[in-house]
Parts: sequence; structure tokens; C-alpha cells
Amino acid sequence: MTSSINLTAVWVFAAFVLASLLVTYWAARRTRSAGDFYTAGSKITDLQNGLALAGDFMSAATFLGLTGLAFIGGVDALLFAIGGTVGWAVILFIFADRLRNLGRYTFADVVAFRLHPERLRVLAAVGTLIVGIPYLIAQMVGAGGLFRALFDLPYGLAVVIVGTLMTIYVAFGGMLATTWVQVIKAVLLLSGGSALGILALVPFGFDFSEMFARAAAIHPFGENILAPGGLYNDPISVVSLALAFIGGTAGLPHILMRFFTVPDARQARKSIGYAVVFIGYFMGLTVIIGFAAIVLLAGETQYVDESGRIAGGANMTAVYLARQVGGDAFFGFIAAVAFATILAVVSGILLSTSASVAHDLYTRVIRRGQVSDTHEMRVSRIATVVIGAIAIGLSILFRNLNIGVISALVLAIAASVNFPMLILALFWRDLTTRGALVGGTSGLVVVVVLTILSPTIWVDVLGHQRAVFPYAYPTLFSMLVAFAVTIGVSLADRSQRAAIDRDAYPAQLVRSEVGRPI
Amino acid sequence: MHYSELLDDPDFQRLLSRRSRLRWSLSTLLIAAYLSYGLAGIYSPGILARPFLGSAITWSLLLGYGIILLGIACSIFYVWQVNRIIAPLQQRLAREYR
Repeated sequence: MTSSINLTAVWVFAAFVLASLLVTYWAARRTRSAGDFYTAGSKITDLQNGLALAGDFMSAATFLGLTGLAFIGGVDALLFAIGGTVGWAVILFIFADRLRNLGRYTFADVVAFRLHPERLRVLAAVGTLIVGIPYLIAQMVGAGGLFRALFDLPYGLAVVIVGTLMTIYVAFGGMLATTWVQVIKAVLLLSGGSALGILALVPFGFDFSEMFARAAAIHPFGENILAPGGLYNDPISVVSLALAFIGGTAGLPHILMRFFTVPDARQARKSIGYAVVFIGYFMGLTVIIGFAAIVLLAGETQYVDESGRIAGGANMTAVYLARQVGGDAFFGFIAAVAFATILAVVSGILLSTSASVAHDLYTRVIRRGQVSDTHEMRVSRIATVVIGAIAIGLSILFRNLNIGVISALVLAIAASVNFPMLILALFWRDLTTRGALVGGTSGLVVVVVLTILSPTIWVDVLGHQRAVFPYAYPTLFSMLVAFAVTIGVSLADRSQRAAIDRDAYPAQLVRSEVGRPI
Repeated sequence: MHYSELLDDPDFQRLLSRRSRLRWSLSTLLIAAYLSYGLAGIYSPGILARPFLGSAITWSLLLGYGIILLGIACSIFYVWQVNRIIAPLQQRLAREYR
């Protein structure tokens, strides 16, 4: 990679940062209550929220990683694109209305509706922080690596820039600023990705058949890249991947929090409908871009070595392709959009973790709701700054973190702790407080233990010969354990609290389907 | 109306059954399509590797993009159905519910 500074990238990134800081200034003056801070006063429109939801999901890892996966493994990359689309559609059918009708600020509101409020909030806060903080760090470590690969910027400086900006957005502008930063980025990413797709298809005269034929002729796998099996060859991994997409996405606290930023269930429904359309389009397009890159980057020795490997890792596929088909200016634009993407995603995660600390733990559990609105907001801002600083520190400390492992782990935890708790709280009358607590804890333990015993840690990190647990993804097992334990413990629960939990289900059912009284 | 009265309201029952039919049938359809596509790729990759109508586009690509489009279509259908049939019931009930 050249070390000369790409002026377009600098200008586009500077323009994005300036625009986001202006938005934050504007948002800060409109953020006067805790409700404004956590959920932008629930005044976001459905299209804005749909873009923001899609933006939360379309991280730099999705865009850069998925292009790279298609480049390496061919058509199996579609399993991710299908997973994203199907996962979001199922979230729409199962969660959209009920979650919006029951919750106010965080998903803990929903599970605490009829179960023991303080205990469930502690569990939900653990689920939020244990997902949010590693996810935050993985994104920031990725940002540092990307900055260095593209611009030779020192790793620590990149992490401090990203960390400081996200803390400013969230601490001053709350959800309103976070949403607008995410909307701007989603529009940039959708248009940048579309432009890259069009430029990459021009050399083939928009003939998909020709593009796939030429990709198969060049790729080391040959015809096999157009057939399944390039990335996965065991059924357990495929099923685990499917469950991680559905349950993992539906268990990510920063995504669940967005359900509460719109005025009512109708808008929540429509916003997730928009998100499905954007996500399906974008992920499908990304796979095509990866295929085009196989042909267009072949033989370009500055990007690809003799064995067909991408210099600097497969994640660089999309940015190299941008330079190849659009020149330095377009390359700079795509690189800047990739940073904007990371910045917007980390802001959303930071907001959800500080809301969990300030609202669920401090206001609801420690002070039992006896807190003034201004005081709660001040605590949220302090929590934002503290978590932001912790994230910067840990990202610098763990710069060699394997981002892929952490991201998979985080999704597995979301799918095995938060998702079973939510879906059973919403749809199963017999769920009890004890069942949720024991089941959630066992899901968490199983994920962590299986991840340590899996090839990625046991063999690659700890240096053992063979992994005790042979699969890369634990989700199938950990999610089943979480469901089984939660259901078993709930059914056996004869405590007084269990009776309260079950008796409150009809009231919750009416509220979740009909909404608040008007 | 108290929630306990609402529970027995025929409109609430209708809302509940229509919504759950829509919710679970669409979810099952999409999850089944996703899993059968993924598992077909493992158990009988040969079928998905066949080209479609003599082009370089394989059934694997075609069906993969087909399921993405199916997911989008089901979501639009769901929002449309709920807004058309379920939302009016829900609004009527919300006005009477205290």
C-alpha cells in the first residue's frame, strides 16, 4: 500500500466528521430528558429508523468481510446474505410489535414487565454489557487496523480518534445524534456500495452469466466457487450460522433499543420492514461485488499475490476493487465510508451499554426508580464517558485481538442469553423469574466453555493438538441448552414468585398486542 | 375496559389468532427455506451446482438470491397485512382498553 495520503479520503472523512459534530450540536440542544437521551423522545420516523437499523447491522465487518468471503469461498457467502435477510424478517414478524408495545428505553423493560423487575434487569444488564463491551472493542480494534492498512496512521491514534468521537456523539447528542450519524452513514454506505457494484459490472456489460463464468475460470476453486461447499461442509456449522443470524441479531441490545425510538408499534413495524429491504439488497449486492473482484483483481500484483491471496487480508477486497474500477478518488470515498461505518456502529453500541448501566442498573435496581430525570441523564452521560474511556484503553491493550472470534462469540452470547429470555418472556406464559435467571446463566456458561474448547481457542491460541469441541460456532448447542434449562426450571418452579410471574401473563399479552391505552 | 374483559372480546381473539397465524407461518417458511438451502448444499451439492438454462449461473446462486427476494417479499406482505387487517382491530381495542 502506498503511504501517500489519499486526499479524497481525508476530505470525505473530514466532511463526515464535521457533519456528525454539527448534528451532535443540534441534537444536544434537543436532548432535555432521559427519554430524549435514550430514545430521541420516540420521535424518529419509520424511514429514518429503518435506515438506522440497517446501518447498525451493516457494519464495516459486514461490508468488507462479506466481499472478502465471496472472493475466497464463492457462493457460500450467500449463506450470510440470506441469514441477514431472513433473520431480520423473522425479527419483524416475532418481535417488532410486542417489543415496541412493552418497552420504553431498553429491552430489559420488556423482560421486567411481569418477571421480578430487579433480578431480570440485572440479568439483562449483564447480557447487554457482556455483549456490548467486547463488541465495542472488536469494532475499535478493527478500525485501528483498517486505518493503519489504508493510511499508515498509528494504531493508537486511530483508536483514540474513533473512541473520542463516539463518546462525544453519545454523551452530548444521545440517541438523536446517534440515529442521525447512523442514517448519514447508511445512506453513504448504500450509495457507495451501489456505485461500486455498478462500476464493477460495467466491464462485463452487466452480463451476470459472463461475470460468473469468468470468475470460475480464474479462481483457484474453479467451477466449485459457483457451487456450495466453499466455506462450509458440515451441517452443524450451517445450522449454527442460521441460529446465530436469527437469534444473535435479535439479541443485540443496541439493535433492540432502536425499536423504542419510533412513536408506536405501527412505525416500529414499518421501520423494520424498511430495514429488511435495505439489508437484503445490500448484502446480496456485496456478494456480487466479491465475485466481480475475483475477475477484476486477478493479475493485479499490487493487490493479489501469485497464490491469489489479497495483500493485507481478504477484508481489503472491496477497497482494492474500488481503486481498480474507480481510481484513487473513489477508493478514498469507499475507505472514508468504511470509517464512517465503524464510527456509527460503535456509537450505537456505546449508547446501549451506558443506557443499561444508567437506566437498568443505577436508576431501576440501585435507586429503585427514586431518581429525578435530570439526575438519571447526568448518570447516563457519566456512564458514556467512563465506558468510552474503558473501551479506548482495552482496545489499545488488546490490539492483537482476533476480531472474528470475538464477533462470533458476541453473537453466540446474544443468541444464547438475550434471545431465549426475550422470546420466552413474550410468548410463553409459564416462564418464571427463576427459569430466566438459571437458563440465561447456563446459556452464557455453555457459550464461553465451548468457545474455549473450540478449534479457534483450544488449537490456535492454546496450541493443543486437537480441539475438544470440533465446531467453530457453539450457537446451536448453547442456544438449545439455554432454552431447555429455562423451560425445565420454569416448569419445576413452584415458588410464590412463579405464581406472580404466570398470573401476570394475560395482562402482558393484552398490552403487547393492543399497545398502551389511548 | 379492563384487560381481563378484553381477553374475552371476540375482536381480541380474532386479532390474536390472525396475528399468530401470520407470524408463525411466515417465520417457518423463511427459516425452512434458509435451512433447506444450507443443508442441501451439504447433502446434495451436485443438484445446486447445476447450471440454470445453460448459463454460468448455477441453481445455488439462483435459489440463494431467490430466498433473499422471498425474505423481502414476505416482510412487505406482513407489514401490508398487519396494517390492513390487524391494525384496525387493534386500534378499536386500544380505545376501549384502560
